Amino acid sequence: MGSLLTTTLEAISLLFSGDAELWSIIGISFRISTTAILIAMIPAILLGFTLAYANFPGRRIFISIFNSLLAVPAVVVGLTLYIVLSRQGPLGEWKLLFSQTAMVLGQIALSFPILVAMSHTAFQSAEIRAWDTARTLAKNPLSAFFIIMREVRFGLFGALLAAYGRIIAEVGASMMLGGNILNSTRNIPTAIAMETSKGEFAQGIALGIILVSMAFFLTMSLQYMQGRGKISND
Amino acid sequence: MTKMLTNKPFMHIQFSHINKSYCKKRCGFFIKKSQAKVIFNDANIVLKGGQCVLLTGSNGSGKSTLLRIIAGILKPDCATITTGSKSLSWKKANKLIRQQVMYLYQEPYMFDGSVTRNLEYALNGKKFSSHSVNQITRALKWANLEHRADTSAKCLSGGERQRVALAQAWLKQPSVLLLDEPTANMDKASRQATEALLLKFKERGTALLIASHDVKHFHQTMDKQLLLENGHIFEIGDKTNNISLFPHSSKRQA
Repeated sequence: MGSLLTTTLEAISLLFSGDAELWSIIGISFRISTTAILIAMIPAILLGFTLAYANFPGRRIFISIFNSLLAVPAVVVGLTLYIVLSRQGPLGEWKLLFSQTAMVLGQIALSFPILVAMSHTAFQSAEIRAWDTARTLAKNPLSAFFIIMREVRFGLFGALLAAYGRIIAEVGASMMLGGNILNSTRNIPTAIAMETSKGEFAQGIALGIILVSMAFFLTMSLQYMQGRGKISND
Repeated sequence: MTKMLTNKPFMHIQFSHINKSYCKKRCGFFIKKSQAKVIFNDANIVLKGGQCVLLTGSNGSGKSTLLRIIAGILKPDCATITTGSKSLSWKKANKLIRQQVMYLYQEPYMFDGSVTRNLEYALNGKKFSSHSVNQITRALKWANLEHRADTSAKCLSGGERQRVALAQAWLKQPSVLLLDEPTANMDKASRQATEALLLKFKERGTALLIASHDVKHFHQTMDKQLLLENGHIFEIGDKTNNISLFPHSSKRQA
Protein backbone atom coordinates (compact mmCIF):
# COMPACT_ATOMS: atom_id res chain seq x y z
CA MET A 1 0.00 0.00 0.00
CA GLY A 2 2.85 2.30 0.97
CA SER A 3 4.66 1.37 -2.21
CA LEU A 4 1.58 2.17 -4.33
CA LEU A 5 1.19 5.57 -2.65
CA THR A 6 4.87 6.36 -3.12
CA THR A 7 4.72 5.37 -6.81
CA THR A 8 1.56 7.43 -7.37
CA LEU A 9 3.17 10.51 -5.76
CA GLU A 10 6.24 9.92 -7.90
CA ALA A 11 3.97 9.71 -10.99
CA ILE A 12 2.25 13.00 -10.11
CA SER A 13 5.59 14.77 -9.59
CA LEU A 14 6.75 13.32 -12.93
CA LEU A 15 3.70 14.85 -14.62
CA PHE A 16 4.28 18.29 -13.12
CA SER A 17 8.06 18.22 -13.64
CA GLY A 18 7.48 18.67 -17.40
CA ASP A 19 9.36 15.49 -18.30
CA ALA A 20 10.02 15.83 -22.05
CA GLU A 21 9.75 12.10 -22.82
CA LEU A 22 6.47 11.73 -20.95
CA TRP A 23 4.86 14.75 -22.62
CA SER A 24 6.12 13.65 -26.05
CA ILE A 25 4.30 10.32 -25.55
CA ILE A 26 1.13 12.17 -24.50
CA GLY A 27 1.38 14.52 -27.50
CA ILE A 28 1.86 11.66 -29.98
CA SER A 29 -1.06 9.77 -28.49
CA PHE A 30 -3.51 12.67 -28.74
CA ARG A 31 -2.28 13.74 -32.19
CA ILE A 32 -2.74 10.27 -33.70
CA SER A 33 -6.13 9.57 -32.11
CA THR A 34 -7.51 13.04 -32.92
CA THR A 35 -6.39 12.73 -36.56
CA ALA A 36 -8.00 9.28 -36.82
CA ILE A 37 -11.31 10.48 -35.35
CA LEU A 38 -11.40 13.58 -37.56
CA ILE A 39 -10.85 11.48 -40.69
CA ALA A 40 -13.34 8.74 -39.74
CA MET A 41 -16.04 11.06 -38.35
CA ILE A 42 -17.65 12.53 -41.47
CA PRO A 43 -17.95 9.36 -43.63
CA ALA A 44 -19.04 7.31 -40.59
CA ILE A 45 -21.79 9.76 -39.62
CA LEU A 46 -23.00 9.95 -43.23
CA LEU A 47 -23.07 6.15 -43.40
CA GLY A 48 -24.91 5.95 -40.05
CA PHE A 49 -27.44 8.47 -41.37
CA THR A 50 -27.90 6.52 -44.64
CA LEU A 51 -28.40 3.26 -42.76
CA ALA A 52 -30.99 4.94 -40.53
CA TYR A 53 -33.14 6.65 -43.15
CA ALA A 54 -32.41 5.28 -46.63
CA ASN A 55 -34.14 2.20 -47.93
CA PHE A 56 -31.94 -0.01 -50.07
CA PRO A 57 -31.40 -3.75 -50.51
CA GLY A 58 -29.00 -5.22 -47.97
CA ARG A 59 -29.43 -2.38 -45.47
CA ARG A 60 -30.06 -4.73 -42.55
CA ILE A 61 -27.05 -6.83 -43.49
CA PHE A 62 -24.84 -3.72 -43.46
CA ILE A 63 -26.17 -2.79 -40.00
CA SER A 64 -25.41 -6.30 -38.71
CA ILE A 65 -21.90 -6.20 -40.19
CA PHE A 66 -21.07 -2.90 -38.47
CA ASN A 67 -22.55 -4.11 -35.19
CA SER A 68 -20.43 -7.28 -35.44
CA LEU A 69 -17.29 -5.26 -36.17
CA LEU A 70 -17.66 -3.61 -32.75
CA ALA A 71 -16.52 -6.85 -31.17
CA VAL A 72 -13.39 -7.33 -33.32
CA PRO A 73 -10.29 -7.17 -31.05
CA ALA A 74 -7.74 -4.43 -31.71
CA VAL A 75 -4.99 -7.02 -32.25
CA VAL A 76 -6.95 -8.60 -35.09
CA VAL A 77 -7.32 -5.18 -36.75
CA GLY A 78 -3.60 -4.61 -36.12
CA LEU A 79 -2.70 -8.00 -37.58
CA THR A 80 -4.82 -7.47 -40.71
CA LEU A 81 -3.31 -4.06 -41.39
CA TYR A 82 0.18 -5.38 -40.56
CA ILE A 83 -0.22 -7.99 -43.32
CA VAL A 84 -1.53 -5.36 -45.75
CA LEU A 85 1.24 -2.84 -44.95
CA SER A 86 4.16 -5.26 -44.50
CA ARG A 87 6.78 -5.45 -47.23
CA GLN A 88 5.16 -8.50 -48.85
CA GLY A 89 1.65 -7.06 -48.48
CA PRO A 90 -0.40 -5.30 -51.18
CA LEU A 91 0.52 -1.83 -49.82
CA GLY A 92 4.10 -2.76 -48.84
CA GLU A 93 5.59 -0.33 -51.37
CA TRP A 94 4.16 2.61 -49.46
CA LYS A 95 6.51 1.79 -46.53
CA LEU A 96 3.97 2.83 -43.93
CA LEU A 97 4.59 0.14 -41.34
CA PHE A 98 5.97 1.40 -37.99
CA SER A 99 4.91 4.96 -38.75
CA GLN A 100 2.31 7.31 -37.29
CA THR A 101 0.33 7.01 -40.55
CA ALA A 102 0.00 3.25 -39.99
CA MET A 103 -1.21 3.92 -36.45
CA VAL A 104 -3.75 6.44 -37.75
CA LEU A 105 -4.99 3.86 -40.28
CA GLY A 106 -5.34 1.27 -37.52
CA GLN A 107 -7.26 3.67 -35.30
CA ILE A 108 -9.54 4.69 -38.19
CA ALA A 109 -10.31 0.99 -38.75
CA LEU A 110 -11.10 0.60 -35.06
CA SER A 111 -13.20 3.76 -34.63
CA PHE A 112 -15.16 3.55 -37.89
CA PRO A 113 -17.55 0.71 -36.91
CA ILE A 114 -18.18 2.32 -33.50
CA LEU A 115 -19.00 5.65 -35.12
CA VAL A 116 -21.25 4.04 -37.76
CA ALA A 117 -23.14 1.78 -35.34
CA MET A 118 -23.63 4.46 -32.68
CA SER A 119 -24.51 7.28 -35.08
CA HIS A 120 -26.98 4.93 -36.79
CA THR A 121 -28.62 4.31 -33.40
CA ALA A 122 -28.62 8.06 -32.69
CA PHE A 123 -30.29 8.89 -36.02
CA GLN A 124 -32.81 6.10 -35.56
CA SER A 125 -33.76 7.49 -32.16
CA ALA A 126 -35.07 10.62 -33.90
CA GLU A 127 -37.64 8.53 -35.86
CA ILE A 128 -38.53 8.97 -39.52
CA ARG A 129 -41.07 11.75 -38.78
CA ALA A 130 -38.18 13.99 -37.75
CA TRP A 131 -36.45 13.50 -41.10
CA ASP A 132 -39.69 14.04 -43.05
CA THR A 133 -40.39 17.22 -41.07
CA ALA A 134 -36.85 18.47 -41.58
CA ARG A 135 -37.15 17.80 -45.33
CA THR A 136 -40.44 19.69 -45.42
CA LEU A 137 -39.01 22.70 -43.61
CA ALA A 138 -35.51 22.89 -45.07
CA LYS A 139 -34.72 24.29 -48.49
CA ASN A 140 -32.50 21.36 -49.49
CA PRO A 141 -31.47 17.90 -48.18
CA LEU A 142 -28.19 19.27 -46.75
CA SER A 143 -30.02 21.82 -44.56
CA ALA A 144 -32.39 19.04 -43.44
CA PHE A 145 -29.36 16.89 -42.58
CA PHE A 146 -27.98 19.64 -40.33
CA ILE A 147 -31.35 20.01 -38.59
CA ILE A 148 -31.32 16.26 -37.84
CA MET A 149 -27.65 16.42 -36.78
CA ARG A 150 -28.60 19.03 -34.19
CA GLU A 151 -31.56 16.91 -33.08
CA VAL A 152 -29.38 13.87 -32.36
CA ARG A 153 -26.26 15.78 -31.29
CA PHE A 154 -25.97 14.11 -27.88
CA GLY A 155 -26.07 10.65 -29.45
CA LEU A 156 -23.42 11.74 -31.96
CA PHE A 157 -21.20 13.23 -29.22
CA GLY A 158 -21.61 9.96 -27.34
CA ALA A 159 -20.47 8.07 -30.44
CA LEU A 160 -17.42 10.32 -30.81
CA LEU A 161 -16.50 9.91 -27.13
CA ALA A 162 -16.89 6.13 -27.24
CA ALA A 163 -14.77 5.88 -30.39
CA TYR A 164 -12.12 8.26 -29.03
CA GLY A 165 -11.99 6.40 -25.73
CA ARG A 166 -11.55 3.10 -27.55
CA ILE A 167 -8.71 4.20 -29.84
CA ILE A 168 -6.69 6.30 -27.42
CA ALA A 169 -6.55 3.42 -24.94
CA GLU A 170 -5.99 0.51 -27.35
CA VAL A 171 -2.62 -1.18 -27.26
CA GLY A 172 -2.81 -4.09 -29.72
CA ALA A 173 -3.02 -2.28 -33.07
CA SER A 174 -0.71 0.57 -31.97
CA MET A 175 1.99 -1.88 -30.86
CA MET A 176 1.81 -3.93 -34.08
CA LEU A 177 1.53 -1.05 -36.54
CA GLY A 178 3.62 1.58 -34.74
CA GLY A 179 6.33 -0.55 -33.18
CA ASN A 180 6.58 1.56 -29.99
CA ILE A 181 9.42 3.79 -31.26
CA LEU A 182 10.33 6.59 -28.83
CA ASN A 183 9.42 10.10 -30.02
CA SER A 184 7.78 8.64 -33.11
CA THR A 185 5.19 5.95 -32.49
CA ARG A 186 5.24 5.44 -28.73
CA ASN A 187 1.82 6.43 -27.42
CA ILE A 188 0.23 6.23 -23.95
CA PRO A 189 -1.00 2.58 -23.98
CA THR A 190 2.17 1.15 -25.58
CA ALA A 191 4.32 3.13 -23.12
CA ILE A 192 2.26 1.89 -20.16
CA ALA A 193 2.64 -1.72 -21.36
CA MET A 194 6.40 -1.31 -21.83
CA GLU A 195 7.09 0.52 -18.54
CA THR A 196 5.02 -2.01 -16.61
CA SER A 197 6.98 -4.92 -18.16
CA LYS A 198 10.18 -3.14 -17.05
CA GLY A 199 8.84 -2.70 -13.51
CA GLU A 200 8.82 1.14 -13.89
CA PHE A 201 5.38 1.83 -12.52
CA ALA A 202 5.71 5.59 -11.95
CA GLN A 203 5.60 6.57 -15.62
CA GLY A 204 2.84 4.01 -16.27
CA ILE A 205 0.72 5.47 -13.48
CA ALA A 206 1.41 9.04 -14.68
CA LEU A 207 0.17 8.11 -18.17
CA GLY A 208 -2.77 6.24 -16.64
CA ILE A 209 -3.71 9.41 -14.74
CA ILE A 210 -3.75 11.30 -18.05
CA LEU A 211 -6.06 8.70 -19.65
CA VAL A 212 -8.43 8.61 -16.68
CA SER A 213 -8.48 12.44 -16.46
CA MET A 214 -9.26 12.67 -20.17
CA ALA A 215 -12.11 10.14 -19.84
CA PHE A 216 -13.48 12.07 -16.85
CA PHE A 217 -13.21 15.43 -18.65
CA LEU A 218 -14.92 14.17 -21.84
CA THR A 219 -17.73 12.48 -19.90
CA MET A 220 -18.29 15.60 -17.79
CA SER A 221 -18.36 17.74 -20.95
CA LEU A 222 -21.04 15.52 -22.47
CA GLN A 223 -23.10 15.57 -19.28
CA TYR A 224 -22.79 19.35 -19.12
CA MET A 225 -24.00 19.69 -22.71
CA GLN A 226 -26.87 17.27 -22.06
CA GLY A 227 -27.80 19.27 -18.98
CA ARG A 228 -27.93 22.48 -21.01
CA GLY A 229 -30.08 20.84 -23.65
CA LYS A 230 -32.55 19.13 -21.35
CA ILE A 231 -36.23 19.83 -21.64
CA SER A 232 -37.57 22.45 -19.27
CA ASN A 233 -41.14 22.29 -18.05
CA ASP A 234 -41.82 25.96 -18.40
CA MET B 1 -37.76 23.31 -66.39
CA THR B 2 -38.23 22.17 -62.80
CA LYS B 3 -36.01 24.99 -61.56
CA MET B 4 -38.11 27.53 -63.42
CA LEU B 5 -41.25 26.18 -61.81
CA THR B 6 -39.87 26.06 -58.28
CA ASN B 7 -39.55 29.82 -57.97
CA LYS B 8 -43.16 30.37 -58.82
CA PRO B 9 -46.01 29.33 -56.50
CA PHE B 10 -48.74 27.56 -58.39
CA MET B 11 -52.45 28.19 -58.08
CA HIS B 12 -53.47 24.84 -59.48
CA ILE B 13 -51.91 21.40 -59.26
CA GLN B 14 -53.24 18.14 -60.52
CA PHE B 15 -52.05 14.69 -59.56
CA SER B 16 -53.30 12.16 -62.07
CA HIS B 17 -52.95 8.45 -62.75
CA ILE B 18 -51.67 7.77 -59.24
CA ASN B 19 -50.94 4.09 -58.86
CA LYS B 20 -49.53 2.52 -55.76
CA SER B 21 -49.40 -1.04 -54.57
CA TYR B 22 -47.42 -2.96 -52.00
CA CYS B 23 -46.11 -6.34 -53.07
CA LYS B 24 -43.08 -6.85 -50.84
CA LYS B 25 -43.03 -8.52 -47.50
CA ARG B 26 -40.06 -8.42 -45.14
CA CYS B 27 -38.98 -11.80 -43.90
CA GLY B 28 -36.06 -11.39 -41.46
CA PHE B 29 -33.11 -10.14 -43.50
CA PHE B 30 -34.78 -10.89 -46.80
CA ILE B 31 -37.55 -9.24 -48.77
CA LYS B 32 -39.86 -11.60 -50.59
CA LYS B 33 -42.56 -10.76 -53.06
CA SER B 34 -46.13 -11.45 -52.04
CA GLN B 35 -49.51 -10.82 -53.62
CA ALA B 36 -49.84 -7.12 -54.50
CA LYS B 37 -52.14 -5.02 -52.35
CA VAL B 38 -53.47 -2.18 -54.47
CA ILE B 39 -53.68 1.13 -52.61
CA PHE B 40 -54.41 3.45 -55.55
CA ASN B 41 -55.62 2.46 -58.95
CA ASP B 42 -55.47 5.38 -61.40
CA ALA B 43 -56.52 7.91 -58.74
CA ASN B 44 -56.78 11.62 -59.64
CA ILE B 45 -56.93 14.74 -57.50
CA VAL B 46 -56.93 18.46 -58.28
CA LEU B 47 -55.92 21.10 -55.73
CA LYS B 48 -56.62 24.79 -56.30
CA GLY B 49 -55.29 27.82 -54.46
CA GLY B 50 -57.67 29.08 -51.77
CA GLN B 51 -59.69 25.88 -51.86
CA CYS B 52 -60.03 23.40 -49.02
CA VAL B 53 -60.54 19.76 -49.94
CA LEU B 54 -61.55 17.28 -47.27
CA LEU B 55 -60.42 13.72 -47.90
CA THR B 56 -62.42 11.07 -46.11
CA GLY B 57 -62.37 7.30 -46.11
CA SER B 58 -62.36 4.36 -43.78
CA ASN B 59 -59.31 3.36 -41.75
CA GLY B 60 -56.64 1.86 -43.98
CA SER B 61 -58.17 3.28 -47.16
CA GLY B 62 -54.91 5.13 -47.94
CA LYS B 63 -55.61 8.72 -46.90
CA SER B 64 -52.24 9.21 -45.22
CA THR B 65 -50.50 7.34 -48.05
CA LEU B 66 -52.06 9.71 -50.61
CA LEU B 67 -50.93 12.73 -48.58
CA ARG B 68 -47.40 11.33 -48.34
CA ILE B 69 -47.30 10.77 -52.12
CA ILE B 70 -48.52 14.31 -52.81
CA ALA B 71 -45.94 15.65 -50.33
CA GLY B 72 -43.15 13.87 -52.23
CA ILE B 73 -42.26 11.69 -49.24
CA LEU B 74 -43.55 8.38 -50.62
CA LYS B 75 -42.85 7.27 -54.16
CA PRO B 76 -45.87 6.06 -56.14
CA ASP B 77 -45.60 3.31 -58.77
CA CYS B 78 -46.51 6.01 -61.25
CA ALA B 79 -48.16 9.44 -61.20
CA THR B 80 -48.29 12.56 -63.36
CA ILE B 81 -48.19 16.04 -61.90
CA THR B 82 -49.60 18.97 -63.86
CA THR B 83 -49.13 22.60 -62.89
CA GLY B 84 -50.49 25.11 -65.39
CA SER B 85 -49.67 23.66 -68.79
CA LYS B 86 -46.62 21.66 -67.63
CA SER B 87 -46.89 17.92 -67.04
CA LEU B 88 -44.13 16.16 -65.17
CA SER B 89 -43.57 12.68 -63.82
CA TRP B 90 -43.55 12.33 -60.01
CA LYS B 91 -39.77 11.85 -60.02
CA LYS B 92 -39.08 14.97 -62.07
CA ALA B 93 -41.57 17.05 -60.10
CA ASN B 94 -40.22 15.91 -56.73
CA LYS B 95 -38.03 18.98 -56.18
CA LEU B 96 -40.91 21.27 -57.06
CA ILE B 97 -43.24 19.34 -54.75
CA ARG B 98 -40.77 19.47 -51.87
CA GLN B 99 -40.61 23.26 -52.11
CA GLN B 100 -44.25 24.03 -52.74
CA VAL B 101 -46.09 21.35 -50.77
CA MET B 102 -46.00 21.04 -47.00
CA TYR B 103 -47.23 18.03 -45.07
CA LEU B 104 -48.26 18.20 -41.42
CA TYR B 105 -48.48 15.00 -39.41
CA GLN B 106 -51.37 14.18 -37.11
CA GLU B 107 -48.92 14.71 -34.26
CA PRO B 108 -46.42 17.21 -35.67
CA TYR B 109 -42.80 16.47 -34.80
CA MET B 110 -41.23 19.15 -32.64
CA PHE B 111 -37.46 19.52 -32.69
CA ASP B 112 -35.39 19.89 -29.56
CA GLY B 113 -35.37 23.54 -28.50
CA SER B 114 -37.81 26.38 -27.99
CA VAL B 115 -40.89 27.17 -30.07
CA THR B 116 -38.93 30.07 -31.59
CA ARG B 117 -36.12 27.69 -32.59
CA ASN B 118 -38.66 25.39 -34.28
CA LEU B 119 -40.05 28.34 -36.24
CA GLU B 120 -36.53 29.37 -37.31
CA TYR B 121 -36.18 26.09 -39.19
CA ALA B 122 -38.98 27.20 -41.52
CA LEU B 123 -37.00 30.29 -42.56
CA ASN B 124 -34.51 28.43 -44.76
CA GLY B 125 -31.39 29.57 -42.91
CA LYS B 126 -32.32 33.28 -42.98
CA LYS B 127 -32.95 33.30 -39.25
CA PHE B 128 -30.37 35.91 -38.27
CA SER B 129 -31.75 38.94 -40.12
CA SER B 130 -33.96 41.47 -38.33
CA HIS B 131 -36.63 40.79 -40.95
CA SER B 132 -36.65 37.13 -39.91
CA VAL B 133 -36.98 38.04 -36.23
CA ASN B 134 -40.01 40.16 -37.13
CA GLN B 135 -41.45 37.31 -39.18
CA ILE B 136 -41.12 34.90 -36.24
CA THR B 137 -42.71 37.40 -33.88
CA ARG B 138 -45.60 37.83 -36.28
CA ALA B 139 -45.97 34.07 -36.75
CA LEU B 140 -46.07 33.58 -32.97
CA LYS B 141 -48.75 36.24 -32.69
CA TRP B 142 -50.64 34.79 -35.66
CA ALA B 143 -50.78 31.35 -34.01
CA ASN B 144 -51.46 32.84 -30.54
CA LEU B 145 -48.23 31.36 -29.20
CA GLU B 146 -46.47 34.52 -27.99
CA HIS B 147 -46.57 33.32 -24.38
CA ARG B 148 -44.96 30.02 -25.45
CA ALA B 149 -42.09 31.50 -27.50
CA ASP B 150 -39.33 30.33 -25.16
CA THR B 151 -40.97 27.10 -24.01
CA SER B 152 -39.44 23.82 -25.09
CA ALA B 153 -41.51 22.68 -28.09
CA LYS B 154 -41.41 19.07 -26.88
CA CYS B 155 -43.42 20.10 -23.78
CA LEU B 156 -46.37 21.51 -25.72
CA SER B 157 -49.84 19.98 -25.83
CA GLY B 158 -51.19 18.37 -29.02
CA GLY B 159 -53.17 21.49 -29.93
CA GLU B 160 -50.21 23.79 -29.36
CA ARG B 161 -47.94 21.54 -31.42
CA GLN B 162 -50.42 21.71 -34.28
CA ARG B 163 -50.41 25.52 -34.00
CA VAL B 164 -46.58 25.59 -34.06
CA ALA B 165 -46.65 23.42 -37.18
CA LEU B 166 -49.21 25.76 -38.76
CA ALA B 167 -47.05 28.75 -37.83
CA GLN B 168 -44.10 27.02 -39.56
CA ALA B 169 -46.30 26.60 -42.62
CA TRP B 170 -47.28 30.27 -42.35
CA LEU B 171 -43.60 31.22 -42.51
CA LYS B 172 -42.76 28.71 -45.23
CA GLN B 173 -45.71 29.84 -47.39
CA PRO B 174 -46.30 26.63 -49.36
CA SER B 175 -48.73 26.59 -52.27
CA VAL B 176 -50.31 23.40 -50.94
CA LEU B 177 -50.77 22.44 -47.31
CA LEU B 178 -51.56 18.82 -46.47
CA LEU B 179 -52.94 18.01 -43.04
CA ASP B 180 -53.36 14.53 -41.64
CA GLU B 181 -56.12 14.44 -39.01
CA PRO B 182 -55.25 17.94 -37.76
CA THR B 183 -57.91 18.03 -35.04
CA ALA B 184 -57.69 14.43 -33.78
CA ASN B 185 -57.76 14.15 -29.97
CA MET B 186 -58.30 17.89 -29.52
CA ASP B 187 -60.75 19.65 -27.25
CA LYS B 188 -63.29 22.07 -28.66
CA ALA B 189 -61.22 25.21 -28.03
CA SER B 190 -58.08 23.79 -29.71
CA ARG B 191 -60.18 22.54 -32.62
CA GLN B 192 -61.73 25.94 -33.16
CA ALA B 193 -58.32 27.63 -32.92
CA THR B 194 -56.91 25.22 -35.53
CA GLU B 195 -59.87 25.72 -37.85
CA ALA B 196 -59.54 29.51 -37.54
CA LEU B 197 -55.90 29.25 -38.63
CA LEU B 198 -56.85 27.02 -41.56
CA LEU B 199 -59.33 29.68 -42.73
CA LYS B 200 -56.47 32.19 -42.73
CA PHE B 201 -54.49 29.91 -45.05
CA LYS B 202 -57.46 29.78 -47.39
CA GLU B 203 -57.70 33.57 -47.39
CA ARG B 204 -54.03 33.70 -48.29
CA GLY B 205 -54.65 31.50 -51.33
CA THR B 206 -53.10 28.26 -50.07
CA ALA B 207 -54.63 25.02 -51.33
CA LEU B 208 -55.60 22.82 -48.38
CA LEU B 209 -56.04 19.07 -48.40
CA ILE B 210 -57.23 17.66 -45.09
CA ALA B 211 -57.47 13.94 -44.38
CA SER B 212 -59.93 13.46 -41.55
CA HIS B 213 -62.80 11.45 -40.19
CA ASP B 214 -64.26 14.47 -38.43
CA VAL B 215 -66.30 15.81 -41.33
CA LYS B 216 -68.45 18.06 -39.17
CA HIS B 217 -65.43 19.86 -37.71
CA PHE B 218 -64.41 21.24 -41.09
CA HIS B 219 -67.82 22.34 -42.21
CA GLN B 220 -66.80 26.02 -42.32
CA THR B 221 -63.44 25.43 -43.99
CA MET B 222 -64.32 22.73 -46.51
CA ASP B 223 -65.13 23.51 -50.16
CA LYS B 224 -65.14 19.99 -51.52
CA GLN B 225 -65.35 16.54 -50.01
CA LEU B 226 -63.64 13.51 -51.50
CA LEU B 227 -64.04 9.87 -50.59
CA LEU B 228 -61.19 7.43 -50.94
CA GLU B 229 -62.49 3.94 -51.52
CA ASN B 230 -60.98 0.84 -53.14
CA GLY B 231 -58.06 2.81 -54.57
CA HIS B 232 -60.25 5.42 -56.27
CA ILE B 233 -61.10 8.98 -55.30
CA PHE B 234 -64.74 10.04 -55.59
CA GLU B 235 -66.11 13.57 -55.25
CA ILE B 236 -69.07 13.18 -52.95
CA GLY B 237 -69.97 16.64 -51.79
CA ASP B 238 -69.24 20.33 -51.65
CA LYS B 239 -70.19 23.32 -49.58
CA THR B 240 -73.61 23.54 -51.19
CA ASN B 241 -74.80 19.93 -51.25
CA ASN B 242 -73.42 19.33 -47.78
CA ILE B 243 -72.04 16.00 -46.68
CA SER B 244 -75.11 13.79 -46.73
CA LEU B 245 -73.76 11.68 -49.58
CA PHE B 246 -71.10 10.26 -47.34
CA PRO B 247 -72.59 7.16 -45.70
CA HIS B 248 -70.10 6.96 -42.82
CA SER B 249 -70.78 10.52 -41.72
CA SER B 250 -74.53 9.94 -41.93
CA LYS B 251 -74.14 7.03 -39.57
CA ARG B 252 -72.00 9.11 -37.25
CA GLN B 253 -74.53 11.93 -37.24
CA ALA B 254 -77.32 9.51 -36.43
